[in-house]
Amino acid sequence: MEVKELVKPFKWADSSPSLELQHEIEQFYYKEAQLLDHSEFEAWLGLMDKDIHYWMPIRMNRLGREMAQEYTAIGQGGHYDDTYETMRGRIRARVSGVNWAENPVSRTRHLISNVMINETEEPNTYEVVSSFIVYRNRSENQADIFPGERRDVLRRSEGGLGFKIARRTILIDQSTLLSNNLSVFF
Amino acid sequence: MSFNTGNWTSASIHSLVDTEQGKIDPRIYTDQELYELELERVFGRSWLLLGHESHVPKKGDYLTTYMGEDPVVMVRQRDGSIKVFHNQCRHRGMRICRADCGNAKAFTCTYHGWAYDTAGKLVNVPFEEEAFPSDFKKEDWGPLQARVEIYKGLVFANWDPEAPDLLTYLSDATPYMDTMLDRSEAGTEVIGTMQKWVIPCNWKFAAEQFAGDMYHAATTSHLAAVVAGLPEDQDLSVFQPHMKGHQFLSEWGGHGCGFYLDTARGSVRVGPLVDKYYSEGPAFEKAKERLESKMPYHRMGASHMTIFPNCSFLPYGMNTVRTWHPKGPNQIEVWAFVIVDKDAPQEIKDELARQNVRTFSAGGVYEQDDGENWVEIQNALRGYKSKTAPLAMQMGLNVQGKNNPEFPGQTSYVFSEDVARGFYSHWVRMMSESSWDTLRPQPATTATVK
Repeated sequence: MEVKELVKPFKWADSSPSLELQHEIEQFYYKEAQLLDHSEFEAWLGLMDKDIHYWMPIRMNRLGREMAQEYTAIGQGGHYDDTYETMRGRIRARVSGVNWAENPVSRTRHLISNVMINETEEPNTYEVVSSFIVYRNRSENQADIFPGERRDVLRRSEGGLGFKIARRTILIDQSTLLSNNLSVFF
Repeated sequence: MSFNTGNWTSASIHSLVDTEQGKIDPRIYTDQELYELELERVFGRSWLLLGHESHVPKKGDYLTTYMGEDPVVMVRQRDGSIKVFHNQCRHRGMRICRADCGNAKAFTCTYHGWAYDTAGKLVNVPFEEEAFPSDFKKEDWGPLQARVEIYKGLVFANWDPEAPDLLTYLSDATPYMDTMLDRSEAGTEVIGTMQKWVIPCNWKFAAEQFAGDMYHAATTSHLAAVVAGLPEDQDLSVFQPHMKGHQFLSEWGGHGCGFYLDTARGSVRVGPLVDKYYSEGPAFEKAKERLESKMPYHRMGASHMTIFPNCSFLPYGMNTVRTWHPKGPNQIEVWAFVIVDKDAPQEIKDELARQNVRTFSAGGVYEQDDGENWVEIQNALRGYKSKTAPLAMQMGLNVQGKNNPEFPGQTSYVFSEDVARGFYSHWVRMMSESSWDTLRPQPATTATVK
């Protein structure tokens, strides 16, 4: 994906997806949010396809004429830039009991909405955009709000929750991250 | 220059850090008035890291950042030099440039339209002829200019015309900086952009940790990160802290670093591909050859370093470089970027960038736990008892014979607070000595006693 495409709206299809597909994918996202908000991180990792690119580019304050360069390009780092293997390592750390940033455990809430779905040339493969607000409350009085948009590629899968996440690009609505770390998943 | 006087006298500032007993008065991390003095005396007079030359490769390229809490613009000039000026219009104090970075031919203040060229010269004042007195001189009202010097790609700036030049300021710390910056004649380049995040903690916790605290990494802080980097068939039972290494304290200036010795460099931290690039093959051989006159580079492992006051980095493939921008006594913004040998193969550059995000970034498996610790410390320091009970800084105190003459400068054991004591001693000097006549490094008259 070209980074300048991220600045533009999601290219929705002229015709709406079937109600059934819309329902299936929304239900998938709600179940995914349940896993994340109830510390079922290994089950959540199970939703990733082995070739996943889990990426959150850094977003810059740019003048209007340079808005095409608002995001860092692929391969230029980011807030997340992970493969399945590195996500596996992250989840292993998270459930280790010694990941102090999340132990004691945070309370999080993933609100997912504005789901739009495009069918692709690949059968059973969908481009999906959704909006999120992730709220994290931890320790005695820390509260963080992470709003943004996810652009996913989902593949229908046998068993499990019915889909696997093959790509996830997370557009966070912050330039400077307003939290002391980024130990939550999106 | 003379200092503004407040409630903090020279004697009371000296009493905050006791290097003989190894004690820190916690108010150095919390006191608002001390913080205001820091902005004047530390950040107003020290060489501060702004970025890398390759952040602004072409003429007109700019990066906006901070020196202390003062906003500045760093701009590549037509002649290839870099200028740094106060990002503030002298008319009503508006920030002149409000983008993080970009390319500009001029900067125009959006409030009343005062316009500046890329060198920071005031070139246009709307209605100047019609409305301003005839003796109004534009050249008197340009933004403040800072001194700029570059050390092997890293751009530093200083407000103080009396401060020593950058090389003198860096003292004998440069050979250790070279382990990251001078591995190849090609130098280094930046990958991507600045990552920024907010940590509610005092800037000195971060700066001192990167200067002299291998201890936290060898004990409890980063166990989860080790787990994250282990092969699937290994668990934490394989984790053994390296017990061999040194820390280095600069002769002057409170700069410090620490490094392991004679250990595998660690794919846990940087991944197998980058680990290999840093421990064998042509790039490693070249670095070894370039650096071996200074130190046995090939024996060094994971390393951390701070250039006083708030420039920190991690050499050996971690390659994160950051400024801990102070935002009040209780908050910092971390502005971090990644550098790599300019002549490294593309696959190494790509992998190093990915590994950096995975490890030493806001969401990095190492760094996220630092954020937790520093926040909790700052919260606890709100208490009266917390502020009045001294903190312990005694590790390595009065321990002799740990200097390793194979390495340049004064070294001690890797698990020591010699560097912390040196860092805070220099902080006390900056905070209490108003004149560079006493503060500046004296010409070396005696060789360092090994």
